[in-house]
Amino acid sequence: MDVVNQLQRQFLDYSASLHREGFLDDQFTQLQKLQDENSPDFVVEVASLFFEDCEKLINNMARALEQQQGVDFKQVDASVHQLKGSSSSIGAMRVKNVCIAFRSFCEAQNREGCLRCLQQVTQEYSLLKNKLQTLFRLEQQILAAGGSVPTIE
Amino acid sequence: MASALPSGDMGAAEANSGNGGQMQKKPFTFNEIVLRNRLTALVVDGDNFCRLLEQGILQAYGLETQSVNNGDAAVELIASGAKFDLILIDMLLPILDGVEATRRIRAMGMRCKMLGVTACSGERERQAFLAAGVDVFVEKPLGPEILIPVLRELDGQV
Repeated sequence: MDVVNQLQRQFLDYSASLHREGFLDDQFTQLQKLQDENSPDFVVEVASLFFEDCEKLINNMARALEQQQGVDFKQVDASVHQLKGSSSSIGAMRVKNVCIAFRSFCEAQNREGCLRCLQQVTQEYSLLKNKLQTLFRLEQQILAAGGSVPTIE
Repeated sequence: MASALPSGDMGAAEANSGNGGQMQKKPFTFNEIVLRNRLTALVVDGDNFCRLLEQGILQAYGLETQSVNNGDAAVELIASGAKFDLILIDMLLPILDGVEATRRIRAMGMRCKMLGVTACSGERERQAFLAAGVDVFVEKPLGPEILIPVLRELDGQV
């Protein structure tokens, strides 16, 4: 098996594992289909914007939950709601699912529950970021070896 | 806006009939439609990422897009005479929320297709948004099964 085929195989296997393990859902696959020669970096740029957005929202949640004199759960919920929307929009399924649980704790005004969810969402965001960086690196390796990135179905 | 992410009242657009605006799910993919006409769209979303992504998706199909990040700016834009074939509007928006913004846009006589694209998922929210005047209530993500039929209809391909 030549180098390009090997890399393409790795890419497909890695991509499949991300879906199987719930990191990504079909929305991500659909966004990949929008990438073409006119917008070759579409997915990388979308992911980069998502991570910026994520970091900002997580910081907002952390700041709001730190308030010792009284947590403004509406403020926390607003950030969680926004993150739920953006994670759904990119197909970040595990992040989205944590947001759903997080919102329940906000509604119940449960600070401990919220802090646990904050920890989880931070973890899921970090994991996803690493995994997508690996995926994008595989894409670059395929292209550098003269191959084309296989289409995910 | 990074270059890889791509940076207009067309007349009465029919609301999805009889089912409160819900679309049937079909196996569409984002890249299976080519538009014949130049369509215009406004994206109204307070979240930077969602706004840019939705614009990017529409621009990938060749739509000319504008975006604003709050309901008040959307209403002002329409009031200033701007016309669009399609408006994507979120429910929770700064300054003026999506429900009230939709109501005011419709009150100005704007009959274009409006999709309420929101992370809200409750039946109460859905009914409120539809009652305000969106044609379709879309729980994020905005996927091809929702968007493709809408674009086909706007493009006269139906």
